[in-house]
Amino acid sequence: MNSLKAKIVASWKAVVRDPIIPFGVVSLLLLIALAIAPLKDHFSEWRNYQHQYVRMIRTRGDAVTLQRHFQGGIRQIWLPKLGVVDRCQTCHAGLDEASLSDVSTQPFAAHPVIPHHLDEFGCVVCHRGQGAATTVAEAHHSKMAGEQPILPARYIESSCGQCHHSTLEGTPKLNQGRTLLTGYGCVSCHTIKLADGTTMTATDQPPPLTHIADKTTREWIYAWLKDPASYSTTATMPNFNLSDADARDISAFLIADSEPLSGDTAMTPAVASNSAADPAAGASLYGESFCASCHAMQNAAGNVVGGNLGPELSGIGSKVNAGWLQSWLRDPRHYDPGTQMPQYRWTDQQLQLLTGYLQSKTNSDFLANVHLAAATPAQIAHGKALVSEYGCASCHQIRGIRKPDNFAPELSRVGSKPLEQLVFLDGMQHSLPDYLSEKVRRPRAFGTNLHMPVYAFTPAQLEAVTTALLSLTDRSFTLPPQLQVPSPRISNYQPAGHAGQLMTNMNCLSCHRIHGRGGDMAPDLTWEGSAVQHQWLDAFLKNPNTLRPSLIRRMPKFNLSDSDRAELTDYMMTVYQTPAFERDSMPLTGYAPAEVEQGRQLFYSKYGCQACHIVNAQQDKGYIGPVLTQVGSRLTAAWIYQWLKNPQALRPGTTEPNQNMSDDDARALTAFLITQKTSLKQEAKQ
Amino acid sequence: MAGKIDDYIAKLERTRVWRSVFRSGTGSSTLHRALAIQQNVFLHLFSTKVRRRMLGFKATWYLGTLTLGTFLILVITGILLMLYYRPAVPQAYADVKDLQFVVSSGLFLRNLHRWAAHTMVLLAFAHLFRVFYRGAYRPPREFNWVIGIVLLMVTLLLSYTGYLLPWDQLAYWAITVGSNISATVPVIGEKVRFLMLGGHQVNANALLRFYVLHCVILPLAAVLFIAVHFWRIRKDGGLYVRQSEPIREPAKEDESAVLEKV
Amino acid sequence: MTEPKDFIAGIGSDIKKSQKRVLFVTRRTSAQVRVFDEERVQTYPEALFRAALAIELLTIALVLISLFFNAPLEGLADPTNTPNPAKAPWYFLGLQEMLHYFPPVVAGVLIPMVLVVALVVIPYFNVNIEADGLFLKNRHRRLNIFYAGAIGLSLFLWFFHVYVALIPTLVIAAIMLVAAFSSPTSSQPLRRYLAAKPVSWWVMTWFLLELIVLTVVGTFFRGPGWSWVLPWRS
Repeated sequence: MNSLKAKIVASWKAVVRDPIIPFGVVSLLLLIALAIAPLKDHFSEWRNYQHQYVRMIRTRGDAVTLQRHFQGGIRQIWLPKLGVVDRCQTCHAGLDEASLSDVSTQPFAAHPVIPHHLDEFGCVVCHRGQGAATTVAEAHHSKMAGEQPILPARYIESSCGQCHHSTLEGTPKLNQGRTLLTGYGCVSCHTIKLADGTTMTATDQPPPLTHIADKTTREWIYAWLKDPASYSTTATMPNFNLSDADARDISAFLIADSEPLSGDTAMTPAVASNSAADPAAGASLYGESFCASCHAMQNAAGNVVGGNLGPELSGIGSKVNAGWLQSWLRDPRHYDPGTQMPQYRWTDQQLQLLTGYLQSKTNSDFLANVHLAAATPAQIAHGKALVSEYGCASCHQIRGIRKPDNFAPELSRVGSKPLEQLVFLDGMQHSLPDYLSEKVRRPRAFGTNLHMPVYAFTPAQLEAVTTALLSLTDRSFTLPPQLQVPSPRISNYQPAGHAGQLMTNMNCLSCHRIHGRGGDMAPDLTWEGSAVQHQWLDAFLKNPNTLRPSLIRRMPKFNLSDSDRAELTDYMMTVYQTPAFERDSMPLTGYAPAEVEQGRQLFYSKYGCQACHIVNAQQDKGYIGPVLTQVGSRLTAAWIYQWLKNPQALRPGTTEPNQNMSDDDARALTAFLITQKTSLKQEAKQ
Repeated sequence: MAGKIDDYIAKLERTRVWRSVFRSGTGSSTLHRALAIQQNVFLHLFSTKVRRRMLGFKATWYLGTLTLGTFLILVITGILLMLYYRPAVPQAYADVKDLQFVVSSGLFLRNLHRWAAHTMVLLAFAHLFRVFYRGAYRPPREFNWVIGIVLLMVTLLLSYTGYLLPWDQLAYWAITVGSNISATVPVIGEKVRFLMLGGHQVNANALLRFYVLHCVILPLAAVLFIAVHFWRIRKDGGLYVRQSEPIREPAKEDESAVLEKV
Repeated sequence: MTEPKDFIAGIGSDIKKSQKRVLFVTRRTSAQVRVFDEERVQTYPEALFRAALAIELLTIALVLISLFFNAPLEGLADPTNTPNPAKAPWYFLGLQEMLHYFPPVVAGVLIPMVLVVALVVIPYFNVNIEADGLFLKNRHRRLNIFYAGAIGLSLFLWFFHVYVALIPTLVIAAIMLVAAFSSPTSSQPLRRYLAAKPVSWWVMTWFLLELIVLTVVGTFFRGPGWSWVLPWRS
């Protein structure tokens, strides 16, 4: 025992005295330590996934093909112009294999079919994440500056919006979100510049408040400020969560600030005497004028029915002053030069009927508990301060207060906001989509001194808005310009002359688009002069009847005088002609019956047009496209022919498919269609 | 087996080529070993004999030696890292990412370089304080102490210039903070920063400048001063000994025992 | 007839003759050439192999650290996005901490320059070389200077709210006070030890303590806006 101890001591002493042996041992250890790094490399995550993939494809029917496609090692998509180095396919080995579409275990599933090829755009342009990484955690969850974690699939449409700046088929959520951003006034306070050089503009047209006292009462303003949604569920005005005192003072200021407008209240006595007029007559005038195309109203069953272009009218009687309403209906532009409401040419009697009818639509609950004492100057002054503080003038025109510039933070690149710049609430997921969604849902939770109002969005709307915001990325600005699909140029087309004045009055451009300007709710009228026959247009303007039975929105009846109507018709027939072809290059009559019959065959069998269109009212069931029973009286033959040849050339974006028809087929179909001339009278009888 | 290898080595050492490289000969006598030090351009910086009592851990804690060790690691890993790195914006960052994700053992190389750099700064400071507390700055070692301070500065500059090279947020803002300080020097501050960064901001020019400093100028300066530092140890009479430290009488038999083994 | 060769072929020349050491003993260096008959070992192999051993052990340690701890790498540099706080490398955090209290010229230029100069001049002052106990000679005058210096520095730091640097200063001053009232012949070893310490020792120890405290504070206890944070709470 002792000898052993002595031996150990002796050998230890030898080791200490002589450094060469420990040097040898330690050198060996060092070599071993250095060998660990390559070993660690060899057993990396991605190699493991590739082994799994190889094992998986071995069991499949098309193993040979898959094995031939598979390449080991690190695979990457390198696109210098996009700043993309994506090594995702190192692990996601089967992305390009259509036959793996049934595989659900990641990372081996095939990519769903999309309009772009993977090699053109890589992965991170759409999915975010860190493309260069070769470990699961770094690739998917890295939150470092300049990198975003993987985008949750429900927001994936936002990535399309980085290049596609206008409405895109196939991205309904993104489109909806963008419509909400512009339609709910978000972009009135927040500047949003797009990568194509345009700036998003508000489409909600909030009313000016310069003459508000003519229109409504202080009590209504108070109640509305407190909770716009309780007046109308479709209100685009958000809730600012104002205290009673603040709402009192703002309403006091707005009334005190209002300047009377000549003519608004002049009619009050006459209306008062006519309010007992036949309510049914008012209702039917409301219906005949197609007011419901734009305005919603609660019907007898309690459902809110109608369009959402104008405000809901269910409680209009509690809101507006009768004299103002009548003056408004007579000439909306007198009160609000920027309104989308068309000017109808109603007679005084019709005006009174309609005013009386609308005044009967009251919402008594809304004002039930509002009792305001007369405003004091201090309250008015405080109200003015509040109006500035909350940026009311960002949306509304208010006397004495300028529209503030950049009232709220710019959001042009909010979709790339680094996480470390965000302040999260307790219990929130630390991710950008969650932050944006929560910020829109309950903005005041992020700080008591914040002024952002609350919008009553549904969860689906919230998701859509978040998607639209997420599309506003840094990357969007750095992508090559040739990839940008710009939003249509905003045109400032203005029809000229007296006819142009008429069109402005009737706000044709609220619904129709002409030369790139105007709404998209009704047909584009740019080439209307080439498309329709003079006689038909004149008759249609006199008494519009719907062409598309499935649409809710309909052309209103404007009661134009004969001379105005004739002028407008002539103007449109002359000015709105396409240079692409001559309107009268094909005759309206005189087609051989054989040709007509051939066209009928083509219509019903070869091209199956009856799927969308109706030629024979008794037998066809197509409701998607316009009814064609009287197309021969409506359209010119040349237009029909050119339309059949290439619809998109005449109206970009139309849903009519391009069938690549031969000239003969198009001619025969034109001959068939031009003979469809059920007269207007006959139609009325049916 | 071992004997055979020894034979081969002995044969190798007798060859003409070997002798032309290593002049010291093959023996293990005191003369041969002294020649091994004297006749090697690197080792001749050291004296041929050192005090046995200075070999213990207690005297020096081997801090100078270890600092040299980290420097050697940094040179080797640094040269390997240079193979994968381009000092340009934004390639620099991508290259560092590639080191992390696709270069074999790239992450390990970078880690080793980074941790060795931190260790070197720490060891240089420790060396400084250790030398001070031992009083080893005393004459005739004054100038070697000054060279030591210069080497500490070079070490800090090496570490600082290297800090920018990954071109990440950490690097960018650390250098921005540092360069802003230099701009506060009265009168010449702005010029100093301009010279340092090659511009008024930390940008691609600064990256290139720091790269050249980090990979060429400062390492050369470090090598030069390290050589002088070591050479001065020999010229100043070996490592500093305290008067209080016990002198050990030579033990002849001990030494011969070691020699026999070698 | 061939010319005689102008060179000698082979190594048989006097190359291997060992040089003789010639020593010039001057009055200045005479102290250092006192010959100790002490044990010396050969640099090769004794010292070289030990050095190599030490370096190898360090390398193994660093290799193991590098295998398991990744060097920090943050996102791509972004001049528009300032991290809060933006920290310098750790060895400059002491200076950055000073930057928090003093104008940049003082903290960023003056202090480091004074430091470097102070370090450089240490071996050129006889007081540092002789290294007598601070309070042994001229006791009264030195005590007065110490009081004035310590109180002045403390007030200065107090005035600029540099409490981080004030506390180590007070600690050192307190220990110096103990040293001032200790005799080199005291029965307590600690007091003997302190009493023998020279001025450079005290200054350097103060500097070391400040360096450690400031660096640790800057590294671990400073957060957004250079405010106090606790490292284990984040």
